[in-house]
Amino acid sequence: MKNVAIAIFVALIVITLGLYLVCFQVRETESCLVTTFGRPTRAITEPGVYFKWPFPIQQIHPFDSRMHVFEPTPEETTTAGGEPIIVSTYVVWRIAEPLEFFNAIKTVNKAEDELLRSRIRNTQNNVIGRHYFSDFVNSDPAKIKFEQIQSEMLADLQQSIAAAKFGIEIRTLGIRQLKISKDVSTVVFERMKAERDRRAQDIITQGNAEAIKIRTEAKSKSDELIAAAEARAKVIRGEGDAEAAKHYKTLEANPELAMLLRNLEALQKILENRTTFVTPMDVEPFSLLKGMPDIDPNSPKK
Amino acid sequence: MTEEHHKKSSEQIPAPAVKPAGDELDAAGKSLSEALGMSFIILKVIMVVLIVAFLASGFETVGSNEQALVLRFGKIRGVGEQRLLGPGPHWILPYPIDEIVKIPVETTVSLSIDSFWYQESPEEKLSGQRRPARPDIPLDPKLDGYCLTRSERAVEAAPQGDGSDGSDYNIVHTRWQLTYQIADPERFFRNVYVRDIRPGDVYFSVITGQEGVKPLLESLLQDAVVTAMVNYTIDEAISSQDRIPRHVQRLLQEKLDRIQSGIRAVSIQLTASEPPAQVRDVFEASTKASQRSQTTITEARTYAGNTLSEAAGPVAEELFKSLHDPTVNEQTKEFLWSQLAGTAREKIAEARAYRTEVVETARANADYLDRLLPEYRRYPKLVLQRIYLDYIERILNSADEKFVIQTAEGAKGTELRVLLNRDASLKPKASQQQTAQKQEQQNQ
Repeated sequence: MKNVAIAIFVALIVITLGLYLVCFQVRETESCLVTTFGRPTRAITEPGVYFKWPFPIQQIHPFDSRMHVFEPTPEETTTAGGEPIIVSTYVVWRIAEPLEFFNAIKTVNKAEDELLRSRIRNTQNNVIGRHYFSDFVNSDPAKIKFEQIQSEMLADLQQSIAAAKFGIEIRTLGIRQLKISKDVSTVVFERMKAERDRRAQDIITQGNAEAIKIRTEAKSKSDELIAAAEARAKVIRGEGDAEAAKHYKTLEANPELAMLLRNLEALQKILENRTTFVTPMDVEPFSLLKGMPDIDPNSPKK
Repeated sequence: MTEEHHKKSSEQIPAPAVKPAGDELDAAGKSLSEALGMSFIILKVIMVVLIVAFLASGFETVGSNEQALVLRFGKIRGVGEQRLLGPGPHWILPYPIDEIVKIPVETTVSLSIDSFWYQESPEEKLSGQRRPARPDIPLDPKLDGYCLTRSERAVEAAPQGDGSDGSDYNIVHTRWQLTYQIADPERFFRNVYVRDIRPGDVYFSVITGQEGVKPLLESLLQDAVVTAMVNYTIDEAISSQDRIPRHVQRLLQEKLDRIQSGIRAVSIQLTASEPPAQVRDVFEASTKASQRSQTTITEARTYAGNTLSEAAGPVAEELFKSLHDPTVNEQTKEFLWSQLAGTAREKIAEARAYRTEVVETARANADYLDRLLPEYRRYPKLVLQRIYLDYIERILNSADEKFVIQTAEGAKGTELRVLLNRDASLKPKASQQQTAQKQEQQNQ
């Protein structure tokens, strides 16, 4: 009984050790290449457990299948219009076909240095050489083809990498820096200065114009308001005159007397100030100055 | 480690198993057999302990900010929701069957990039001061970082057109900060390169560090920034508008999704942006110009306010609108007029005074005539004379000088000259009040 248990146990251990020799795991993040006597025979990209012949016969070469970022050093390129431009790119790539990769390059560093660098440079020169500087930056946003340029570069690089069969997949490519040479930057600064100066002028002119507009508007508004008020005032005066006219009816009882009274009143008002009065003595009551009047108390004239 | 023990036990086990096969049970043999039995029991205990330890090594704790994936023979275990293990203790089959990968999903990580900023010496960085303006030194593309921004559209800036082909651009320095988190642990684990964890590593800093996700994110973020910035003008960039970071975030997220990185850009901030030191002077001058222009406009507004309230008081603006708006009803209009102040109010007040005066005078006159008429009808001559003389008296009382002249009999063509003493100070009044002068030619 005891012996049986021990035998099973030993068998288990032997099997485990044996499995270690003939099994291998491919992790989610890897792809593997199996070589038989040094010759690549099988590429595995799906994760899981696989069998192989023990060591001297078959060997396992795992490759990391995750994304790598490669940033080549920036280089000056010329656009279609002949302007120099310094474009820094980056490439996100991964090993897609371990067999091809193993045959062509074998290591990640070699892939980046020997393969990607020169091809990226080619792509960059090709695509940028097809475009004008105004496709990168444009005062009209609708004419900016920046994203289009990036996708053109990606397509170009993907094509050339695929054609070379390196087992590399380009996941994405982008421009991480867009720069200009020293000399050009001086010119740009000059232009920025000129533009700013002009803008400052514009701002001041616009401000003044705006201020004048505000002032004039206010003036005309107030004029209009006063005019409206005057119109209302006129109406009020008219009302007064009309109301006053109602009382004239009373005067109609004796227009002559009314007129006389009115004239007298006017006369008094007119002669209120600064009057020098010259009158002949014939007029009443000055005629009294000539002497006593001749009045008969018993029989008044008329 | 566990395998080693197994190996050891597999070598040891056969030894005690073989010994009891011999049947010589003398005292020495017995004690030896007992000793061997003892050691055999000890070995068994050790084996059991080892097996338990082996199984117990499958216990793993997932931290509260983490989620975990289990790899069974290298392949992610489970389907759908079950693929992810939440925080808490878990038991998995021990190595080499299962392997746990913990991913910090809840933690947000910040990443700053200075690659669009001008080169700063360590002293400058420490002092935190701005670099002094240096108009003559160009930017070195190898050392100084910057973004290109578009110029303002030709029609916006210069209506007359300055003959440019639209490729004008500006240079601006910017600094950015990205906050991200891992949103999809599975995609992240499968696609994003993170170097293997070695003993002594802090797992989290390996993931976010230079050998983890950092180079990828830096590149993608720079790409997004460059792509977004060419769409904005330098003024928009300097005024730190919200929509630029939002645009960058959108672009970055698109790129992150396209490569299936499983990373989510939580937020992006434009932490600093300024024009290059070479042109700072003119930028400041232009800011001053804006301020000056604002001042001018404010002054004009004040003037406008004063003018209007002088003309019609606080309701001026409203009243003016109602004059031009046919939809305003009469009631509102009247209310507004009643609130009037200033010059307009004076005008109306004057008119009201006039109305009152005119009406009152007319009424008074009428009343007067009414009362007088009966008397007048009875004694016309006397009444008339009294009134007449009353007036003459009043008129003469107010006269400054009076001349009563005796008419010379038959002196034809005699001329009378009176020197009127004009008082200069009274002159203005002369225009308002009619000065009557009665000059009589004796013989005419």
